Amino acid sequence: MSRKKVLEIKNLVKSYGTKEIQAKVLKGIDLTIYEKDFIAIMGPSGSGKTTLLNILSTIDRPTQGTVILDGQDILKVSNKELSKIRRDKIGFVFQDYNLLDTMTLQDNIALPLSLNEVKGEICIKKTKELAEIFGLSDHLKKYPYQLSGGQKQRGTVCRALITEPEIIFADEPTGALDSRTGRELLECLSRVNEDSGATILMVTHDSYCASYAKEVYLLKDGMVQCKINKGNSRKEFYDRIIDLQAAMGGDLLCE
Amino acid sequence: MRMTGLAYKNFKSSLRSYLALIFSQAFTIMIFYHFQNIIYSDAFSVLKGFNARNIKSIVEVFSLVLGCFMLFFIGYSTNVFLTRQKKEIGIYVFMGLSNQKIGGLYMLETAFTGMASFLLGIVLGILTTALFQMILLAMTEIAVSIRFWPSLEPVINTAIVYFLIYLLFAFKGYVNIVRSSVLNLVMAAKKNEYVGQKKWILLLKAVMGVGALGFGYYLAVKEGGQEVMAYVFAAVVFVTVGVYLLFGGLLPVIFQGLAANKVFLYEKQRNLWINNVVFRIRKNYRTYAMVCVLILCAATALATGFAMKYRYENIVNSHDIYTFQFLTVDQKLEERARETIQKIDPIAYHSQIQVVFFEDSPYGVLAYGQVERLAHEIGIEFSLPEPADQETILLTFMNLMSLLNIQERILVKVHDREYEQIAETRLPFLGGALQEKISFYLVSDREYERLSSLGQEFYLYSYKLEDLENFARVEEATRELSSIEEESYTGRISTDPQKIREEIEWVKILYALSIFMFMVFVVAGGCIMFMRVYNDAYEDTERYRVLQKLGYDSGVLKKSIICELGVSYVLPFLIMAMSSRFSVHALEKMMYADLLQINVASVIIVLIVFLVFYGLSVMSYCKNVRLV
Repeated sequence: MSRKKVLEIKNLVKSYGTKEIQAKVLKGIDLTIYEKDFIAIMGPSGSGKTTLLNILSTIDRPTQGTVILDGQDILKVSNKELSKIRRDKIGFVFQDYNLLDTMTLQDNIALPLSLNEVKGEICIKKTKELAEIFGLSDHLKKYPYQLSGGQKQRGTVCRALITEPEIIFADEPTGALDSRTGRELLECLSRVNEDSGATILMVTHDSYCASYAKEVYLLKDGMVQCKINKGNSRKEFYDRIIDLQAAMGGDLLCE
Repeated sequence: MRMTGLAYKNFKSSLRSYLALIFSQAFTIMIFYHFQNIIYSDAFSVLKGFNARNIKSIVEVFSLVLGCFMLFFIGYSTNVFLTRQKKEIGIYVFMGLSNQKIGGLYMLETAFTGMASFLLGIVLGILTTALFQMILLAMTEIAVSIRFWPSLEPVINTAIVYFLIYLLFAFKGYVNIVRSSVLNLVMAAKKNEYVGQKKWILLLKAVMGVGALGFGYYLAVKEGGQEVMAYVFAAVVFVTVGVYLLFGGLLPVIFQGLAANKVFLYEKQRNLWINNVVFRIRKNYRTYAMVCVLILCAATALATGFAMKYRYENIVNSHDIYTFQFLTVDQKLEERARETIQKIDPIAYHSQIQVVFFEDSPYGVLAYGQVERLAHEIGIEFSLPEPADQETILLTFMNLMSLLNIQERILVKVHDREYEQIAETRLPFLGGALQEKISFYLVSDREYERLSSLGQEFYLYSYKLEDLENFARVEEATRELSSIEEESYTGRISTDPQKIREEIEWVKILYALSIFMFMVFVVAGGCIMFMRVYNDAYEDTERYRVLQKLGYDSGVLKKSIICELGVSYVLPFLIMAMSSRFSVHALEKMMYADLLQINVASVIIVLIVFLVFYGLSVMSYCKNVRLV
């Protein structure tokens, strides 16, 4: 059964600086993401993870190459259309939650739909459904400062999911969480991927975090060094990631 | 680097973010400079010649009001920006600087802002002073030529007052920084948490606010006779408290209610801006209330100025009705007087009426029918109700400063009988000069017949000269008509309208200054709102960065900002517009003037000024949160 291509990157190059002194951060990356994929991109500091994510999420533009999201070349559209793509097709989960402190958790989750002028009743229904899945039903009336880090991050995931985007970009989603709440969040993401078929691209430097994905791409010096598939067991997958890191000369430092 | 150098560098690099502070301070300085300029202007010295004492006290009162305003305004603006500066220079804590040193740095940096504001204010003041004075003089119809070159005294006075106040607040900021904990310094700009207030407290405030405002309005329109001043004073207190509680209680309750109704909230992209309003109103309600009261004062001050001007015109007009009047027992005098006057100057119009006086009463008695006829003869609109036999109408005079309310339905005794006073009028049927000296009671024609047989009946012959140039000659010629003999008693009243005009010319100053104050307060209100929004935008930068990252295009976010800021400006405006109707109505009652037009005009001017500031706020907000 052939799955739908959600995101396709071809020969992605990004360099900074002037013509004379150029720093190449991404040196020709090819990557295809299909529907229901859960991909982790790993790499040490300076490997180009964040730059790649910024380009994929349309916040930054590459020097060369193509990015096709849902059949549309995002490098050939206007800024206004880019905003629309970001709003309708992409969901974001940031390391530092980025919930708005002026509104309750429920309003935060409903915000994307509300700004898309979806009917009030539908917003409420969807908010409640997602809150139920992520165990946030009792916290909907609370403000972000009244929530724990894990609750906030799950709220962010709900907010990202509510528009049913083509793909979710998660930038170090467990970066600000302790190991237990981090694990809870990853289980949630994994469940969303399994049950609802959400496509997720996660950037992380944490091997444990990466082991929740179905595929891991290891990035080094702006290039994809290798790709590992999960197989049957998460534990085994985790060990393989660690081994591979060691094999690559210990350049990928993991906590 | 030395401290001064560091402070200067800081000031230069953050000049853009302090522009709002500098402009608002420059505005106050400009205002004060203009005010000083009026005092030292030629126009003022001309007016001073007429009535130095009254003008001196007006200037003192206005100086005090303006001084208080400056104190408050400078205090407010420095305070708004203290938080911001604290955060920026608080970083030096990590470099081992003591709080005292950081405080010193703050003082130095503020000194630069102060100097920049002062220079800008004075330059703006000098540039606009001629225009400003021309407008003011044109409005007051004072004909004086204006010097375009500024004098030194206003600049020096402005500098002294400004720097004294500014130093005071800079020092206050210094003390604040010295006493701050390190954490407080670094986190100064991060206090962004929403602290919910207990619902019942808000509800209590809301109920009390509506009650206080309603009671204040009631007091403002209540008929009060002698107590009217006390009522009005109480009304001011109640309305001020009411406005404060309304912003602190009722409006948060309403907006929280809207936010709680999720179906409503999530539709039409309301989610973002209504939540922001709920958040903002909690932090800014004092500012909104303050601005509301400030403009309310401004509108009332303007109406007062106009009411005084109307009175001034009425008094001048009432004295302009007749030039010469003769109160006589001699019925033949009319012919003699007319001939004497006509020899020198043609008569524009004349009138006659009979008056009864009693030895035991200071009042004169007039017949209703005769007054009605006289009013038609000299062209004054007559709409007084006809008194029954037991009723009377008081005819009195227009006083510039009287603030008493009309007292109707009281019993008055005229000679042998008590009458119910059914109305009071200040229309100058008998001329302002005579009515100022004697009050009259109008009775029914039948009652007049009866009374005329009991008292002494006089004839009042009144003439208006065609050409007032001949006033002195006619005055000289009619002197011999006066007589103190009992059988031919004749009293002469001569009125020179020009003299009256000069005597109360100072009202024009009051009028001009009230317009000036109105504009100052309204623009200040706009400035305060602008500064508040400017500072809020600084806090919101992060929030909007997130929203943009999430993919909301600037159109959606701008719409939300437009709605949010719109509410901030509309609320004080609406409450002010409503309250001003009551305050101006109270004034109408006290000053016997129709001020509805002025009221409407002042509301429209406030609306225009607010619209301008609103537009500026939206622009600067979008710029500050980097929405393009």
